[in-house]
Amino acid sequence: MKQEDIILVEEPQLTLSDGFYLPQVFIGLGTTMKHMWKTIRPSGDIVVQYPEERREDRPVDEGGMLRPTYRGVHRLNKDMEGRPNCVACFMCSTACPAKCIHIEAGESPWPDREKYPVKFDIDELRCIYCGMCEEACPCDAIELTSIYKLVGTSRQEMILDKEKLLEIYDQTIDHEPM
Amino acid sequence: MPKITVDGKTIECKDKQVILEACKDNGIQIPHYCYHPGLSVVASCRICLVEVEGVPKLVPACQTPIRDGMVVNTNSPKAVANQKQVMEYLLTSHPLDCPVCDQAGECYLQDYSYEYGRAEPRFEEEKVKNPKKDVGDNILLYSDRCIMCTRCVRFTREVSGTSELFVDGRGAREEIQIFPGRPLNNPLAGNVVDICPVGALLDKNFLFKQRVWLLKSTPSISPVDAGGENIWVDHNEGKIYRCRPRYNADVNQWWISDETRYAWKAVSDGNRLVAAKKAQYSSQVETDWQKAADQAYTDLKNLAADSPGTLYALLSPMMACEEAYLLGKLIRSLDPQAVLVIGPVPQGEQQVFRNSITGKETFVIQGEKVPNANGVRKVIELLGGPSATYEELVKAEKPELKKLKGGWIVGGYLKDWVGKEQPALFKKGYRAVQDILPNSLVNSADVVIPGAAWTEKDGCWVNFKGIAQVFSKAVPAPEGVVSEAEVYHYLLRLPGAYSAAAVRAEIGEPVSAAKIPDADAPEPAMEFVEL
Repeated sequence: MKQEDIILVEEPQLTLSDGFYLPQVFIGLGTTMKHMWKTIRPSGDIVVQYPEERREDRPVDEGGMLRPTYRGVHRLNKDMEGRPNCVACFMCSTACPAKCIHIEAGESPWPDREKYPVKFDIDELRCIYCGMCEEACPCDAIELTSIYKLVGTSRQEMILDKEKLLEIYDQTIDHEPM
Repeated sequence: MPKITVDGKTIECKDKQVILEACKDNGIQIPHYCYHPGLSVVASCRICLVEVEGVPKLVPACQTPIRDGMVVNTNSPKAVANQKQVMEYLLTSHPLDCPVCDQAGECYLQDYSYEYGRAEPRFEEEKVKNPKKDVGDNILLYSDRCIMCTRCVRFTREVSGTSELFVDGRGAREEIQIFPGRPLNNPLAGNVVDICPVGALLDKNFLFKQRVWLLKSTPSISPVDAGGENIWVDHNEGKIYRCRPRYNADVNQWWISDETRYAWKAVSDGNRLVAAKKAQYSSQVETDWQKAADQAYTDLKNLAADSPGTLYALLSPMMACEEAYLLGKLIRSLDPQAVLVIGPVPQGEQQVFRNSITGKETFVIQGEKVPNANGVRKVIELLGGPSATYEELVKAEKPELKKLKGGWIVGGYLKDWVGKEQPALFKKGYRAVQDILPNSLVNSADVVIPGAAWTEKDGCWVNFKGIAQVFSKAVPAPEGVVSEAEVYHYLLRLPGAYSAAAVRAEIGEPVSAAKIPDADAPEPAMEFVEL
């Protein structure tokens, strides 16, 4: 390891009120109270009683969800022949600030295409849903959908592979066109 | 020293330089495709045209020699208009497939299009489509990406001297071709991929594997022969993807052999030894490297305590000088009369390449197929005491070799090195073996400690000319594997962490003079090459 790569971090000093703990506890509770008041006052922040009530069912100006720009789970778009649009150029994984996209490229089995993704994995737990991948994609192959319900029982299950991402395309294409 | 003025700035140049080289030495960039300092000048791409005061037409910077007091303009309206035209013309027949092209990221066409080209294309017609061609065992040619700079054609004529490539057709139908039945398979063929300024010539072994901007480069040295060719090891996330030549005027200039280029494959396969083992009731059981090393140390110590002069160390010419030195010290600390034996030095055929036009020697692939025989000999000489060659150990005629009972054997060769003619000591006696690939000796040894490949450790090698060159650690060793030097460092109970540079300083000349090349340093200023 190089000397210039080492950063020495000093521990912050405790002030007197930090030392007694209780004042800090009340300061913390104050923040909670402030937010509670914000939501219960008559002209307060909009609260959605999830899961009985859902954002997608509300109008946008009443705190509803703007579907075309919502950044949820990814999908891989398909072309007219049902092949993935992706050409495995690695632009999305390069642009990704969370480094959650893992691509393995290979020679494509189709004569009109050069390269295609043999493997395309997105770690949805690492992803920060910034949408940089969508912006970087030169082929409109990767897009973020409005799906926000992402449930899994293991970390491994939350790494979506190519098949799963193409499946999400089939699920969402009707109400979210490319 | 002649002085010229470029864009209002006066620069000093060397005699016999061309404008382009003089500018490059002084940090002024002039775009160029067909010019390569190691090849003859053809001035065919025309993007380097500059305006010289007193000359009515634009002149090619790659071909025009400097004259004292010359005034050059690289960004006058006339020169800029030419650059834009050349870029636009090249791009009319160039496919827009950067996302799938392996050259993207290190492509001259991309860089110059950004710097000198125009933003909007005006070409609306159908572009030329040309299927890719298989031109050699390792090389693919994408003809539609080619810009006809002919660097590759000149390389096969002037450096490898084999002339496999030629320009077929004229005008818009011009393309690079091979002769029927004569593929591009010479031992230097891989270099055409490096000199291709665009993605026309690509390496099959690297095709679609990784994008170049994700790769990190570490300076290293070729492990395949005594020439000590300088290379970059390109790797990402602990995996090596390719090796490229690194410019060194004294050793390999701009080129490397294909054997060097693909040497990394031998150490990245699944056969590597990764577990330390020790013999127990006539079979080998796995253990960790510290326990295995301690076992070997105490066993050898007991052997030497009974009768001195019974130990030997086989120093492989694949070892770094630092490692050979530490192992020599280690074995001599157990037995002051231990014999230092240099491992087998395989000899192959020396290949000399000549310019097919002038007959001048351009590149030599050394016949000695190990990188550090010279360095290990120097280390043995430095340590003094009894020593032997591998052939002497096989014959075992010398009286001091007859007494040997056990030793520390280091392999590290990239292929199986234990041949049919092996010393009797490899079958009987005590054997502590350090190697990277499995072989018959490893399978029967008393203690096995896996070693690190050259890309996984720091060290230096002395090439056949006596030049000591440093290679750096590029990727981590497989789990459970430490470099040879770290094992000796541990057994010698030396203080602190192992540092190759400190050991080099202890060994002294010529090894201590070797410096780690700076990865960010620009290529050194080039001399005018007369071809």
